[in-house]
Amino acid sequence: MNATDIQIAICGSAGDGTIAAGDILRNAVAAAGYRVICFDVYPPEIRGFGKCISRLRITTEQSYSLKRQSDVLISLDDSHAIPHAGEVRDNGAVIFESQPISPCAEGEHMSAHVLPGQIPYGFPIREMAQKATGGARSRNLVVLGFIAGLLGLAPTSFQKIIEKKFAKQGANVTAKNYAGFKAGYDAGAATFKLDDATFGPLAKSGDSGKVVMLSGNAAVVQGCMDAELNTFFGYPITPATTIMERLASEMPKRGRRLLQTEDEISAIAATIGAGFAGSRSATATSGPGLALMAEMLGLATITETPCVIFVSQRGGPSTGMPTKTEQSDLNAALYGSPGDSQRIVIAPTNVEGCYRCAGKAFEMAERYQTPVIVLLDLYLSNRYETVTLTASGPPFVLDANKPLRRMEPGEAYQRYALTADGVSPRAVPGDVGCMHVITGLEHNELGRPNDSAEMHTAMSNKRHDKLQAALEHPDFTVTKRFGAQGRVKVGILAWGSTFGECLEAMFMAQAEGISCAAMKVVMLSPFPTKAISAFMDDCDAVLVPEVNYEGQFAQLVQGTLARPVVRLSRVPSSPMPVELILGEIRRLAGVAAASAAS
Amino acid sequence: MSIPIQPVYVDVKLREVQESGRLDYRSRSLPTWCPGCGYFSIVEGLTHACNEMGIPKEQAVVVSGIGCSSRFPFFVNLYGFHTLHGRVLPVATGIKTANDRLTVIGVGGDGDGFAIGGGHISHAAKRNVDITYLLFDNGIYGLTKGQTSPTSAVGLRTTTTPFENPERPLNPLMMLLSYGASWVGQAYAGNPDHLREMITQALAHRGFSYLHILSPCVTFDKTSKTYTNLGLSVRDLPENHDSSDLMAAMHQAQDQEHPALGLFYQQFRPTLGDTFEQVIAKAGGNN
Repeated sequence: MNATDIQIAICGSAGDGTIAAGDILRNAVAAAGYRVICFDVYPPEIRGFGKCISRLRITTEQSYSLKRQSDVLISLDDSHAIPHAGEVRDNGAVIFESQPISPCAEGEHMSAHVLPGQIPYGFPIREMAQKATGGARSRNLVVLGFIAGLLGLAPTSFQKIIEKKFAKQGANVTAKNYAGFKAGYDAGAATFKLDDATFGPLAKSGDSGKVVMLSGNAAVVQGCMDAELNTFFGYPITPATTIMERLASEMPKRGRRLLQTEDEISAIAATIGAGFAGSRSATATSGPGLALMAEMLGLATITETPCVIFVSQRGGPSTGMPTKTEQSDLNAALYGSPGDSQRIVIAPTNVEGCYRCAGKAFEMAERYQTPVIVLLDLYLSNRYETVTLTASGPPFVLDANKPLRRMEPGEAYQRYALTADGVSPRAVPGDVGCMHVITGLEHNELGRPNDSAEMHTAMSNKRHDKLQAALEHPDFTVTKRFGAQGRVKVGILAWGSTFGECLEAMFMAQAEGISCAAMKVVMLSPFPTKAISAFMDDCDAVLVPEVNYEGQFAQLVQGTLARPVVRLSRVPSSPMPVELILGEIRRLAGVAAASAAS
Repeated sequence: MSIPIQPVYVDVKLREVQESGRLDYRSRSLPTWCPGCGYFSIVEGLTHACNEMGIPKEQAVVVSGIGCSSRFPFFVNLYGFHTLHGRVLPVATGIKTANDRLTVIGVGGDGDGFAIGGGHISHAAKRNVDITYLLFDNGIYGLTKGQTSPTSAVGLRTTTTPFENPERPLNPLMMLLSYGASWVGQAYAGNPDHLREMITQALAHRGFSYLHILSPCVTFDKTSKTYTNLGLSVRDLPENHDSSDLMAAMHQAQDQEHPALGLFYQQFRPTLGDTFEQVIAKAGGNN
């Protein structure tokens, strides 16, 4: 059986329906049973003629990232798409308008940029749209139909998705759009085949779970809802806003409360207040908002108050690049706060991970009485993947609080009682006989201000030590090794969304015969020293690719373990290119081989 | 103002206080304030009000910021959260959002409320969060040893204004009235009986109640807001003042030379908790 692995890129100008076409395509193939990963790039302006690209990779088994090269490029606007002609592989297809609306110079037409080895499919898209629908607006559906026909995808699943998408605009609009699709489909089916890119049969799915199409942020919302988030406080900021927007419609349906606050300080303050009152509470922000929350995070640390903060990173510093992805808020997430800022920081590596990390974050916040930061980035927040939700219900513990015993008459409740695991049973307002005050001041076991050296040391120990158990948190992947077991020439150590590209590069390197392995690090604080050390023991060289300039994760690894790593820190305003990682793997494999020979 | 002297017998008074039950609301911690500080009477006022209203101790939370006034939660036997400088209201909003049944009382000073935390007041007021905010205004930063504050008088000499404060003080009551606070009152720490009564009323109000409490700082301000000066300048609101009349309340609030004591304004409208429930009902989430 041929496993399906096709990547399609649709490129156009804002207003061409590029992103909409990608949306229909991903939903249609997912409905047909394929696995999808999809990432759209669009300009920051709401109106204008900026470049939009929607890239989808369609596979039999869920893939971790987009491929280095696309199999098909569709141009809805040659001026934007021409620079991307090179990203199509040999024997891949380039689909473009064969009859431009006005005469254009040769260099401005896609036909002049199709490389030898690529297969050009020029056809009269506009004319076909006009004939089928009486207007040119459905060009995006004509090309969608064209590739469906070309690649042999059944039109039925598209028809359903198109009907759903245009349902609000009436039967006429739906019919016209489907007519456009059908015209394209017939043309695609009638033309010569793109031989080595066809959809293979699907394996009979063994898991009985429900497959859904989710963006990273939507997966976070699903995780929050399944973990029974009670209260949410937020302030709009790209690329985290859609978390609050989705929660704003989901939470009230379940009788829960969401408040848009006046700023991020207020958002985190209210989140902590609600956590103190015993509610499962969260906020979501991006780098600039995290900076405003820094002081409050310290308050959550010292008062040992459970709270969850989703941080979707974008390009920085300052306002930086709000619509470009980056992994440069790691240091702020780990350390941003006055004093020693003990906390849990976890970073999912794919959309399914967003779901799991979101739900597990509430468990950890309660169990270890700590702020938990879930570090996402724009690439992860905005990309779509098919996700399997377990059939047996949400895999989350809904009350992870340490049990509180009844107070004896006259007994003073000790909010910060020193215990073996560092976690003190927590009373919340409403609990009879446990009245206490929590404070941002250093305190004793009763919670009363105390700044003695002994107490500050004891409480610092407590706040540090209690988190170590999170490294073995039940049903949570702290780190995971992929690829070759045992000794390898090159080991890739990565975190967050970049791990997907690392895995792709690793597979390609393995195909070239290079011995390599990759480890994803999901928990960044507390630092999984043992697992990472053991992995590094197996590697001749360790490569750390990440999308930031200073190599923040590489610094963390080197600083904690005092062992060298090879940095691949780049700020491409996009996900890390797979070929960059592959090039480094090749170079390191060569270097390692040379030094072994000498 | 002359106060007639009445004899008070210690044993009688002690029995009266013990039997009242209000000592239950006091904690065992000794206040950290200077002898003579006006804030002692605010602790008295709150414990008395809680006792009078029969609020169960575990059902009340006092939230404070940073400053002399913000040490308050340690001196009462209720749940308490001593938060960060300026963040009383958002933390209190979070607590009330999580649990409507709690009586939530915010306390803080003039610097905490109107300097660093100034951005939050308008939003707490407009949302009508059902909490009580007691603002202790002594016109100076006490805990950091005497710097000028947003309500310091023009001409006050402090460590950060050695050549006298050139800035006009804010008018907190005007601000709160225009922000839409649904209960706005003023009291004076040197008039504890009235203060106690005002705290009780503020707690009883359903919605955002703001009580501005004038108090001297006996250590760092010997010239401006002293007991003598405040005692001579405060006045009662006119007897015919209509607390449902916003314009009349604003008119009274204009007079900062002679601060009026009493209930300036009261309005009944849905609280934040009510609006949450409305949203949930619209979304069909009650089923």
